Amino acid sequence: MGSVFRSEEMCMAQLFLQSGSAYDCISELGETGLVEFRDLNPSVSSFQRKFVSEIKRCEEMERILGYLLREIRKMGIPLPDVEVSPVAPPPKQVLEIMEQLQRLELELSEVARNKEKLQRNLLELTEYGLMLRLTRGFMCRSERDQLGPQYEEFPFLEKDNVTGCTSMQRLGAKLGFISGLIQRAKMEAFERMLWRACKGYTIFSHSELDECVQDPDTGEVTKSVVFLISFWGDQIGQKVQKICDCYHCHLYPHPDSAEERDEVLESLKTRTQDLQTVLHRTDEYLRQVLDRASESVCTWVIQVKKMKAIYHILNLCSFDVTNKCLIAEVWCPVNDLTALRRALEEGSRKGGATIPSFVNRIPSNGTPPTLLRTNKFTSGFQNIVDAYGVGSYREVNPAPYTIVTFPFLFAVMFGDLGHGVVMALFALWMVLCEKDPKVTRSKNEIWQMFFAGRYMILMMGLFSIYTGLIYNECFSKSLNVFSSGWSVRAMFTELHWTNETLRTNPLLTLDPNVTGVFNGVYPFGIDPIWNMASNRLTFLNSYKMKMSIIVGVLHMSFGIVLGVFNHLHFRQKFNLYLVFVPELLFLLCLFGYLGVMIVYKWLAFSVRDSSMAPSVLVHFINMFLMKTDGETPLYPGQMVVQVLLVVTALLSVPVLLLGKPVYLYWLHHGGRSQSSYRGYERVQRGSVEDLSVTLSQDMEEGVSHSDHSISREAHPEFDLGSVLLHQAIHTIEYCLGCISNSASYLRLWALSLAHAQLSEVLWNMVIRLGLRTDSRAGSVLLALMFILFSVLTVSILLLMEGLSAFLHALRLHWVEFQNKFYGGTGVKFIPFAFSLLPSGLDQDGLMGEAPSVL
Amino acid sequence: MLGFSELNFNVDNGYLEGLVRGFKAGILKRPDYQNLAQCETLEDLKLHLQSTDYGNFLSNESEDLTVSKIDDKMKEKLLAEFRYLRSHSLQPLSTFLDYITYSYMIDNMLLLITGALHQRPASDLLPRCHPLGMFEQMGAISIAQTPTELYNAILVDTPLAQFFQESLSEINLDEMNTEIMRNKLYKVYIESFHKFCKEEGGVTEEVMCPILEFEADRRAFTITVNSFGTDLSREERHGLFPTCGRLSPQGLSMLAQSEDHEQVKAVADHYAEYKLIFEGSGLSSNNKTLEDRFFEHEVKLNALAFLSQFHFGVFYAYVKLKEQETRNVVWIAECIAQRQKSKIDNYIPIF
Repeated sequence: MGSVFRSEEMCMAQLFLQSGSAYDCISELGETGLVEFRDLNPSVSSFQRKFVSEIKRCEEMERILGYLLREIRKMGIPLPDVEVSPVAPPPKQVLEIMEQLQRLELELSEVARNKEKLQRNLLELTEYGLMLRLTRGFMCRSERDQLGPQYEEFPFLEKDNVTGCTSMQRLGAKLGFISGLIQRAKMEAFERMLWRACKGYTIFSHSELDECVQDPDTGEVTKSVVFLISFWGDQIGQKVQKICDCYHCHLYPHPDSAEERDEVLESLKTRTQDLQTVLHRTDEYLRQVLDRASESVCTWVIQVKKMKAIYHILNLCSFDVTNKCLIAEVWCPVNDLTALRRALEEGSRKGGATIPSFVNRIPSNGTPPTLLRTNKFTSGFQNIVDAYGVGSYREVNPAPYTIVTFPFLFAVMFGDLGHGVVMALFALWMVLCEKDPKVTRSKNEIWQMFFAGRYMILMMGLFSIYTGLIYNECFSKSLNVFSSGWSVRAMFTELHWTNETLRTNPLLTLDPNVTGVFNGVYPFGIDPIWNMASNRLTFLNSYKMKMSIIVGVLHMSFGIVLGVFNHLHFRQKFNLYLVFVPELLFLLCLFGYLGVMIVYKWLAFSVRDSSMAPSVLVHFINMFLMKTDGETPLYPGQMVVQVLLVVTALLSVPVLLLGKPVYLYWLHHGGRSQSSYRGYERVQRGSVEDLSVTLSQDMEEGVSHSDHSISREAHPEFDLGSVLLHQAIHTIEYCLGCISNSASYLRLWALSLAHAQLSEVLWNMVIRLGLRTDSRAGSVLLALMFILFSVLTVSILLLMEGLSAFLHALRLHWVEFQNKFYGGTGVKFIPFAFSLLPSGLDQDGLMGEAPSVL
Repeated sequence: MLGFSELNFNVDNGYLEGLVRGFKAGILKRPDYQNLAQCETLEDLKLHLQSTDYGNFLSNESEDLTVSKIDDKMKEKLLAEFRYLRSHSLQPLSTFLDYITYSYMIDNMLLLITGALHQRPASDLLPRCHPLGMFEQMGAISIAQTPTELYNAILVDTPLAQFFQESLSEINLDEMNTEIMRNKLYKVYIESFHKFCKEEGGVTEEVMCPILEFEADRRAFTITVNSFGTDLSREERHGLFPTCGRLSPQGLSMLAQSEDHEQVKAVADHYAEYKLIFEGSGLSSNNKTLEDRFFEHEVKLNALAFLSQFHFGVFYAYVKLKEQETRNVVWIAECIAQRQKSKIDNYIPIF
């Protein structure tokens, strides 16, 4: 269980996978998720790798699956849930799946194409029917209208015939009709163009359809217009035809006579009915096919995804000379080596290989990735730390301390019993129903955020209850559990207050020096009588301010002390004397002493001599000025102690500034080279294969190897200038940081004050209004006010204030606490595990077309 | 408003400018081209394009990928982006964007006319038109027999009508006349676009005018070179030159007089930037044609447009660069498809 405090020990291992069983081995490793693979052919571009064709096949299958899923969704068939995730299919079975998929696709696309054709046909027929019905109106109208002119025209034609001039009839031209539908929007442009191009030699009549019709080409539902163009002659006819094409009109043959029209209409009706029954049948068949497919499609999606992942991993491996086995390089936690071996054995057995695949531990000078195992309780806190920076390999992990300090600092700012209870209950509810699939599968991002931090919220709520009890605040009211230690009655008996006194004086002071007025300290937290006192704020401010300083100094010193474990672990003992000690001295001599003075003042001055209690601030300032200014000393010898402390603090600065660089300089040029310098350098992820081949003989499995034995060859070139510069920056940052960070902890006071005041305002402005009226209407008002009060409490005090306190606690941890010891420059260990693959059908782009723009 | 266009530019156009700059980041870079040039088959090319901003735009083309399919898909993507920009734009940016499409419309129209001259049905020709220059009346163009008819019946409703005022004649359309018509239209178009940008003022003028001036001069050079050996008279030729470029007016009259390639080169020598272009483009020096060199220069000018902010030039530059990118990819794909790997490096890298 040492892994909570620092990241787990890692080792680099080589896997020798027999080419026959490599696939099964990787599949097994993917199920268990033990190791992180390294790319052994970074120079080979993605399409020149070994298993490109397999990946392409997977992609092809994904494409078909996406098509299937889309069709299934279009049909509205529910997809069954897959409880157990199926294992990746063996390569032999892949072809089978592929074949099945292709057959399905073929079948589906044929049916779909047929269906589309039928639907199109149907639409065309309906359009035709509608058109015929409307054009009948045109014809009737024109026949009636043109009755007169027709008589005039005939003699004209006949006359032409007689004179032998070119006439329509002689050219064989006759009246032609073109009829069809056009979209409403294009109508005007169409009519204009028609008129221009044919110079008015056409008669254009049109009428709008009442109902919207689906366009057979695009499938859109639009308003259409039915038109009928009558013209003379073929030439114009061609032109009209072209213009119609250009505007995407749907043209239908125009019947010559009324009888023909009726015939056509009749036949249309029967054909439409036939088509509808056929369409219905097709639909049913399609549904059957899809129903069958939907049973296994989810399994297939997961299987294909796993398979693709396996081939991607296989692409990272390199082949050995004989091409008989694949070599992979992995990072693996030392503790998991046996599990890794077992997984490989299992894989080989499944693959039916005669020679087993095996593991070989190899030395490495690269930085191992950081692995910190978490459970559902610690993961939230670990995430907070990781968000700042993933810890360097084997560095002290601040997360276990954060589990306590984070909720505590939060609660200091959020101290209210009532709010804490609400928060804790909410978190408790989330914790209790964490197994409920309905809660866990919610897609809402904000909800998921809350849910992931449920244990943290629970802790924060519980700590808030505690601090709320200390502050004695519950929705801004105090609880009087143990009965207050102050008594007003004594003032009446001892100082002879009367009712007259109460009436005449707006403010009265209880004097604790009068016997009987102050009967001892309230057993737990703050005396409830302060809730009524008018100088409550002054009292609480002084208390909370001092408390924040003490908490801050403790928190920071703890951070510095944690640095010790880093120095010891990385065998940098000199850092202990040259960095840790001066740092701690600087902090404690200045701000630690301030804390001591505060506590001393609390203890040394009782009620009786409270009037002569000194100001800690004045003493603290005088300490730096090294004078007394006529103040009475707090304790004998105060001056000497203070001078000593200031001098120590000042002396530790040059030690911090120069100690480490000078020591390192001496180490490199003074001859005595110390072999215990253990640093991990980040190196390029190059292959260490060459190294491993020579070493693999004498490295038996199980021989414990410490990674650091070879790290010396990567010893960096020593550069005094850069070390000096680095240390100077660190010193300045630290010394100034001590001051600013201590001041920064005052936010604990500021936020808790703000929270208390806000909840008090809410109480006074809302609930008290409801409590004041004592008629029947008052109860209604109270109920309304209570609703308002609870809504505001949740939204402002719990959510907004909680968020702000959370952020401030986060900052105190990241900036004030972690920069004392935490590097956070590591790389996270990301094992190859199927469970980490994006799950769900929607996320991988299989569903729906990805929009090309935005 | 005047002189302070930077202040309120973002109110109307900030979103689209940001968007187009984001699109620009997706333009293929030099390493991308190097990778593409290494491909062995079109499938590899597809795989590679998937890793760029194009994403899986080819993923639904399951089998037999052809170069023209890639071309179509790339144009389709550009069209989708352009349509998005156009439909979210406000005046005067929308006019500016329309101006960009007009040049494609002119090309499409002439493609259809020449096609009709060769008795090709419009349904064959339409898919070959550039999608950016599509307009409604396109299908009906083949009806027209003379330019006047073309104008009066079909184009009068289109935005192209404004460029037609001068180029109307009653002669029948034939090969030569269509070319002349194209050049006349272009001349009016470029001059009008130039005027629009000038009126826009500000950074737009600073950026767009050099690009359009170069475009005008390029046309002048190309017309001159192409007219050698035809029966185009000098005066006619001079009438075709766009007059908004740097060459105007002396250079243009000199070009109108020149008779062979050497004389054109002599004209270019008077202008520093064109001298450079003509210098290497002799007869086969490192096998780059004059056209390629003009393209290179154009790419340079367009890439420069992204250096300044608060202007419309980025939209023009983006469309042109994307067009060049399509040409590059198609060239590479063509080389791969025809197994002519030796010429594969003749693309023009953009960034």
